[in-house]
Amino acid sequence: MSSWAANLTLNHKLGLVALALGGVAVLSRVAPERTLTLNAKELLTRIERQDDHVTPAELATWIIEGRTDYRLIDIRDAAAFAAYHIPTAEHVPLSEVADGGLARTDKLVLYGDGGIHAAQAQIVLGGMGYRRVYTLREGLDAWKDEVLYPSGPEHPDAEHAARFERAVRVARFFGGQPRAATPAGTSAPAAPVAAPEPVPPPPVSTPALPAGGVFGAPPAKKKEGC
Amino acid sequence: MMAPLAKLGYFGDEVGLVIAFAIGIGFGFFLERAGFGSAKKLVAQFYLRDLAVFKVMFSAIVTAMLGVTYLAWAGVLDLSLVYLVPTYWVAQLVGGLVLGVGFVVGGYCPGTSIASTATGRIDGMVYVLGFAFGTLGFAVASPVLDGLLGAGELGPTTLPDALGAPRGVVVFLVVVLAVVGFAGASWIEHKLAARDAVAPK
Repeated sequence: MSSWAANLTLNHKLGLVALALGGVAVLSRVAPERTLTLNAKELLTRIERQDDHVTPAELATWIIEGRTDYRLIDIRDAAAFAAYHIPTAEHVPLSEVADGGLARTDKLVLYGDGGIHAAQAQIVLGGMGYRRVYTLREGLDAWKDEVLYPSGPEHPDAEHAARFERAVRVARFFGGQPRAATPAGTSAPAAPVAAPEPVPPPPVSTPALPAGGVFGAPPAKKKEGC
Repeated sequence: MMAPLAKLGYFGDEVGLVIAFAIGIGFGFFLERAGFGSAKKLVAQFYLRDLAVFKVMFSAIVTAMLGVTYLAWAGVLDLSLVYLVPTYWVAQLVGGLVLGVGFVVGGYCPGTSIASTATGRIDGMVYVLGFAFGTLGFAVASPVLDGLLGAGELGPTTLPDALGAPRGVVVFLVVVLAVVGFAGASWIEHKLAARDAVAPK
């Protein structure tokens, strides 16, 4: 026995080691399963840090800039999607988000009507190993309130006015329109100038950017790295 | 899960480039040390006199495959996050044939030609030059080749997916294939060496 082993060359030994490792690997289970593995601490920290969502204004900017490094996923039912969806959104109903159509390597931004369904889907996907799932904060409701039909400036100062003017341009870009301004200094809720119903469906595809962009020429990108 | 490190955001693109540079140096070094900077060594493969290329490449594949499998099994590596080059079986079959013919005629494959150039071999440099012009020619011709480039599209596919077999079984079969292949390669080498000794050319 010992003489048999002594006669083996290094190549033979390496071959035997590889065969043994390959044999043991037959028992391995590395296929993704549908059971969820959640790291509670990581999950709660992420929620607390609030970096698990994007705001409607951020999303609007991404769409206008034509960013393609993420996928916008509408998790509502087919009728709701057909009636209106945010430009560039893909339709993957809530019950189908875990069916494998979404790649774990993709950066995903989920949205529903409010924020709850998307957040629940986010937790499920997180438990399946998706690490780059975000939700649109407060969903389509917030998108309508903040992007399509922004309210007037809260204060009559220049900074708020400029911000509102920008919001108006963004709203028009997406086919919405601003609501009447809130009178400054009043603590009363804004006059009920609710969004016109039904919501006019803005164009499904991203409209062509006006010359110079919505916000004028984009600032020159700072060169990164060395 | 803590890997793949880049996909899980442990470092950004800049650090990724530095790491790629270091790995590239290591890869080139070991190619050269294995003798793959020499066209004679590489082409001996096709005359079945020296099957070192086959052995080195297949051991690299088996080593990486076993490493990845065990890391995934241990829960350290998330295989679903590892990038897979999409399969276009027709396009890749044609591309593989073109590469093989180029390998026999030119004496190098892309990686070894760079290693050879780094050692100062003129044939390696000429090969790299041809390689650069070929790449340019391909870029110019690619609209014409459009139909071929997408032929046989299967998307990102793995052997376990294609065979419908558990991953571990496929891993074992590939190891067996490698060991049998190694034994066969050594047998052929000895056989031809003996024949050459009897009747030297």
